[in-house]
Amino acid sequence: MRRAIPFLVAIGLVAAVIVPYVALGGGSFEPTPVADPCAPRAYPEAEGLGETIERIALTAVDRVACRLGVSREELVLALRSEDAFDRFTRENGIDRTEAEQAIHDGLVQAVDEAEQDGTLPGLIAPLVRKAAESVPPWLLLETLERLGDFLPG
Amino acid sequence: MRQRSALLGLGVGLALADSSIVTLALPRILGDFDVSITSVAWVLTSFNLVLALVAVPAAYASRRKPREAFGAGVLVFAVASLACGLAPSFGVLVGARCVQAVGAGLLVTAALDLLSQVDGSDEAALRVWVAAGVAGAALGPAAGGILTQLLGWESIFLAQVPVALVLLLALRGVEARPVKAPAGRPSVPANLALLLVAGGLVAALFLVVLLLVDGWGLSPAAAGIVVTVMPLTAIGVGRFRPRSLGVVYGCVCGVILIAGGLAALALMPRAGWWWTLPPQILVGAGLGLTVGGLTELAVRGRPDQVVHGGWTLAARHAGVVLGLLLLAPVLTSALDENRDEAIRAGAAIVLDSRIPPLAKLGVAQDVLAEVDRANDAGELPDVKRALAGRADDDEDWTSLVSGLQDQLDRAVTSAFSGPFLLAAALALGALIPLAFVRRRPG
Repeated sequence: MRRAIPFLVAIGLVAAVIVPYVALGGGSFEPTPVADPCAPRAYPEAEGLGETIERIALTAVDRVACRLGVSREELVLALRSEDAFDRFTRENGIDRTEAEQAIHDGLVQAVDEAEQDGTLPGLIAPLVRKAAESVPPWLLLETLERLGDFLPG
Repeated sequence: MRQRSALLGLGVGLALADSSIVTLALPRILGDFDVSITSVAWVLTSFNLVLALVAVPAAYASRRKPREAFGAGVLVFAVASLACGLAPSFGVLVGARCVQAVGAGLLVTAALDLLSQVDGSDEAALRVWVAAGVAGAALGPAAGGILTQLLGWESIFLAQVPVALVLLLALRGVEARPVKAPAGRPSVPANLALLLVAGGLVAALFLVVLLLVDGWGLSPAAAGIVVTVMPLTAIGVGRFRPRSLGVVYGCVCGVILIAGGLAALALMPRAGWWWTLPPQILVGAGLGLTVGGLTELAVRGRPDQVVHGGWTLAARHAGVVLGLLLLAPVLTSALDENRDEAIRAGAAIVLDSRIPPLAKLGVAQDVLAEVDRANDAGELPDVKRALAGRADDDEDWTSLVSGLQDQLDRAVTSAFSGPFLLAAALALGALIPLAFVRRRPG
C-alpha cells in the first residue's frame, strides 16, 4: 500500500488541475457553432429603414441558406465577391444558376412578406424587389447597403 | 575544481539550449527569409535530428580523446553559431545549424567524461550533466524570446560565441586517461522511455510558447518569463526529490505528471497566460523526476557512461524530432480547420451585432481582409487592427470587437488541444518501456 502512495499523489495533483479546468468549460472552449438557418430566428425590432432592409436581407439569407443546405454565414461570406461566390458553389457542389435563382427568389419573397405586413413602405418595396431581380448575387448586399444609405431613414 | 565543473555544466546547458532556443524567433526568421511555415521549422528540426544522429559516434570519439573532443566541439559550435548569426540565406542558416549540432554532440558527450575527472566520481558527474542539460533545454525558449525581442533573432547565436570560447578554460589541467573497457549494449527500455518523454515534452517546450506569442499575442520576452515556471519547478523538484521515492517509481510518477500537465494544457477553459501555469508546474515536476531518473537508469552501472550518455542524448533528441514531426502537421491542420470555423462564427457575430446595419458589410470585409493578410504572413489575425479607425468607444462596437476576439481565442486555443493531447499520449507511452527497465547496481 505504501508503494502506491507516490502514484496516488501524482494522480491527485493531476486531478487537482484537470477537474477544475473541465468544470470551468475546458474541452468546449472552441468557436461557437453557427445556428441552423432552417430553425426560426428571433430578430430585434427594426428601427428605421436601414434596419428594416437589414432584417429583410437576413430573413432572405436564412431562407436561401436553408434551401441550399448551407449556413447563413457561409452564404453571406460567399456574397462578398464573384470569386467568393464561385468558390462557394464549387465547394458545396451547388449549380451556380440554381444558387443565383434561389437568392433572387428568397429576397423577393422576403420583400413581399415585409410589404404585406407593413414593415416595408409600399413606395420602397418595388425598388428593393427590382434590385433583387436584376443585381448579381455578389453585389446584392452592397446594393442594399447603398440603397439604405440613399433612402431617408 | 568547482569552477571547471560549473564551466562544463554551462557548456552542456548552452549546447542543449540550442535544441529549443529559436522557438520564439521562428516568426521573425520566417519574415526575414520569406520562407514557408513548414520550411522554417527546419531551423529547429535540423539541429535536433543531426544531434540525435551524431550523439553516439561523438560519444565514442569523446571516450578516446575527451580533451580534444571537447575543444573541437567548442570551436565547431562557436564557428557554426557565428555562421548562424550572420547567415545571408535560409539555406546557410539550416546548414550552420547542422554543423552546430555536430559541435554540440562532441562538446556535450566529452563534457560528461571531463566532469567525471573534475568531480572525482561518475555519479556526481552524471548529476551535473543531466541537470545542466535539462535546465538548458527548458530555459532555452525563455532566453531566446528575451534576446529576440531585445536584440533580434541573430543575437541568439552571436551571444553564444564568446560564451562558448570561455568554455575552453575548462580544459586547463585535464589529463588524458586510458580508454575504458568496451561500452556494452545500451539500455533499450530506458532510452525508449526517454525518447517518448522527450517527444511529449516538445509540446510543453515549443507549443506553449507558440500559443502564448502567436496565439494570444504576448511579447516574446513576456512569454519567455511565463515559461520559466516549468524549468524552475523541474530544478526544484529534481533537487528536493525524496530519496525514498526510488528512481523507477520517480520516473513513473514523473510520466504521470507530464502526461497530466499536457492533458491540462489541452483542456484550458479560457485564453490567458495564467491558465498555462498549473499545467506547466505539473510538467515541470514531471520533468524534474523523469529525465534525470531515466538517464540514470540508462547510464548508471554500465562500463562506460560517456557512450551510454551519448545514447541518452540520441534518444532525447530523436524524441524531439519525433514530437516535431508528429505535432506540427496536426497543429497546422487544426489551425486551418478552426480558422474556417472562426470566420463563420465571426460572421454570425457581425450579422447579429447592434452596430449600424449599413456598416456590417464593411466590417465583414475588413475582418476577412485581415484574415487573408495574417494567413499570408503566417500570423494570426488581429481583430483590433482590422477594425482600427471605427467608432471603438461605442458600446456596440466594443462588444463586437470583444466577441470577435473571443471567437479568435477559442479557435486558436482549441487548435492546440489536439497536439497537446497527442503529446500527453506520447509521454504516457513511456510507461510501457518503463515496465521493462531493470535497475543496475551503481
